[in-house]
Amino acid sequence: MSATFPSPDWLQGLMKKLNSDEKYAKIARNWEGDLLFHIEPEGNLTGPLSFYLDLWHGTCRNVEFKPSPDKYVDSAFVFQASYTDITAILTGKLDPMTALLTNKLKLQGNLGVMMRSVPTVLDFVRCAREVTTDIQ
Amino acid sequence: MQPILNIDLSTRTINSFQIPVDWEQQYLGGSSLAARMLFEYLREDLDPFEPDAPLLFLTGPLTGTAGPAVGRFVVCGKSPATGRWAESNCGGFWGPELRYAGYDGLWITGSAKGPVYLWIHEGQVEFRESAQIWGKDIYETQTLVKEELGQPGVRVSVVGPAAEHGVLFAGIFCDHGRTAGRTGLGSVMAAKNLKAIAVYGKRKPLPLARPDVFAQIRSSSNRALKQDNEAKVLRELGTASAANYAEYMGAMPSKYYRQGSFDKVDNVSGAEMAESILTGTSACHACVIACGRVVALEDGQKRKGPEYETIVSFGPNLLNDDLAAVVRMGELCDLYGMDTISMGNTLGLAFTLYERGLLTNGDTGGLELKWGDVEVIEELIHQTAKREGLGEYLALGSYQFGQHFGAEEEAVQVNGLEVAYHDPRGVSGMALVYATSPRGACHNQSDYFFVDWGHTNEQLGIGYFPKQAGGEKAANVARHQDWRTLTNSLVMCIFANVPPQVQVDLINAACGMDWDVGAMIHAGERGWNLKRVINHRLGLERDNDRLPKALLQPYPEGGSAGYRIPLDEMLDAYYDVRGWDPQTGRPTRRKLEELGLQDFAGELWS
Repeated sequence: MSATFPSPDWLQGLMKKLNSDEKYAKIARNWEGDLLFHIEPEGNLTGPLSFYLDLWHGTCRNVEFKPSPDKYVDSAFVFQASYTDITAILTGKLDPMTALLTNKLKLQGNLGVMMRSVPTVLDFVRCAREVTTDIQ
Repeated sequence: MQPILNIDLSTRTINSFQIPVDWEQQYLGGSSLAARMLFEYLREDLDPFEPDAPLLFLTGPLTGTAGPAVGRFVVCGKSPATGRWAESNCGGFWGPELRYAGYDGLWITGSAKGPVYLWIHEGQVEFRESAQIWGKDIYETQTLVKEELGQPGVRVSVVGPAAEHGVLFAGIFCDHGRTAGRTGLGSVMAAKNLKAIAVYGKRKPLPLARPDVFAQIRSSSNRALKQDNEAKVLRELGTASAANYAEYMGAMPSKYYRQGSFDKVDNVSGAEMAESILTGTSACHACVIACGRVVALEDGQKRKGPEYETIVSFGPNLLNDDLAAVVRMGELCDLYGMDTISMGNTLGLAFTLYERGLLTNGDTGGLELKWGDVEVIEELIHQTAKREGLGEYLALGSYQFGQHFGAEEEAVQVNGLEVAYHDPRGVSGMALVYATSPRGACHNQSDYFFVDWGHTNEQLGIGYFPKQAGGEKAANVARHQDWRTLTNSLVMCIFANVPPQVQVDLINAACGMDWDVGAMIHAGERGWNLKRVINHRLGLERDNDRLPKALLQPYPEGGSAGYRIPLDEMLDAYYDVRGWDPQTGRPTRRKLEELGLQDFAGELWS
């Protein structure tokens, strides 16, 4: 289930992790909302990158690596971050809530849901960190 | 600067004076300049309620301009609650209006023979009898004064019945519940028989040294502020947006700082408010954030919604998860004119002592102080404001309340000021902030909890240390305190996440100065140390740099479970980076000279 970020294998691995992790299933049992990430090119990432996750009640129903730009534009939460910052989050060097509050992780979506779902957000990131063996 | 109006209420004499130019350059404005102005007047034997005790209202160089979130003013003097340095700043629109009336501050002494209010407009000052509004709540007082004056655009700062009754945590209020809430200066104002101060002026826009440059900077900074995630969160959810995260991190105290988590936090969070009772937002002068909440309860009436401190004070702190009740309690405190932090904190002590049998039904007039009982909480708020029943002692604040019942060590306060609701066990930098703040346990002298959450600042050299680090973060905390002292000199809202370089550019454009970030921090450090000298003059010693017993006990549960604050180690490191004498906690002569404060060294060193 582990893989190099960013890659289709990494995203599939994350989906499997979210669907098999008991702790995540419990903490995120009330979560409703899909996530679309836009990563700005920097360093080893030479072009823009997007990936999508459909999260629902403690499970991950669907993922897509590099979806077409007009797909998933109505996602509940759209995140934007630099490659440096997203990899800092995935390697544990940057706290995701800190990234959010300091504009390193830009967000379009319901802030209220995000702020009251701190445990879910942090546990989602824990799962993502656990499947990330390498950074490209 | 514009003149300071000097008002003696005893003799009804009025004149004005100018601030020396070198004071402006050294202290800028706000609370630092106030410290310099008040220095010679604040003695240890001065009773804050005696007529001679000065009460100083002061604005900052940006107040009333179109800069980002610069509508604030500060009130300073000697605190009746702590006996030490008092400052409390306030948003709304009163500060800008005072400047439009042609004055940058009010120096008020004396005591009127009977209740009066002041009417300051177009270079005139009138004393108006106010017996008819004495006893009225803060909203009705504003309404009655405005009706009597009939001047559109007039702004009124007032005290409520709690101040008239000498409650030691009564504040000064303006607009819709904007509050200079801490350190009890409302009672100082009421002791002068001064019920309200109405101001109105036409001096708009305020003169600036480089208006074109200022306009450009403030436009770009306001645009940036609108896009800032923190500002977005505050706009959508208010300051109570922090509740969930603070609770998760173990930084939100529950059950009077004795319980490290509160599983019903969702019921009283900013998100819950937004999704249930929120009907709108309110903003202070020139603020694009609009963190103020407007809510409606079952009666449909629109009213002020609570911010983070009030929510925790009357919510988790008292094990209450009834958001509507929290709204009502916050409103009650506003109506009476009391600080919600100190009120909830002192109630928390009462509930704690009752649970332990140190307070009995005989003391409470038969009230059973059960955690979370909203009717009892509301009744005790009424009693406090009126100084009736147990309220006679609650009105003294937590330290003196504890003293009365032989349990002052249980009071969660520092130097007489109740601790705010950012628990240092979850954000350890706040341990140093509370222990060394010039006005007691205050979160506005440094909102360092944001830094412990990762809100670093490269321009200021403020880096990140783990949220439960010890002495290694002392220099970081000191730096942040210096920056916030400068912010409180401006007087800028700390929620405006304006980069330091932009702050400097705004100061330079407004005042015609040529500061850099280093000069700005230096001025902040000067202000911090001057207040320290004042407090030493008022009796402060190193032993006063402490935390209450409750905060030094690890929580058994929650996000900060098991963490014991290494306060002694932190303080040793702090004195070292501050250049303070480790034995006495006093700024050394060398430090004072470095800051241009050598004239005050004689106060501390023979």
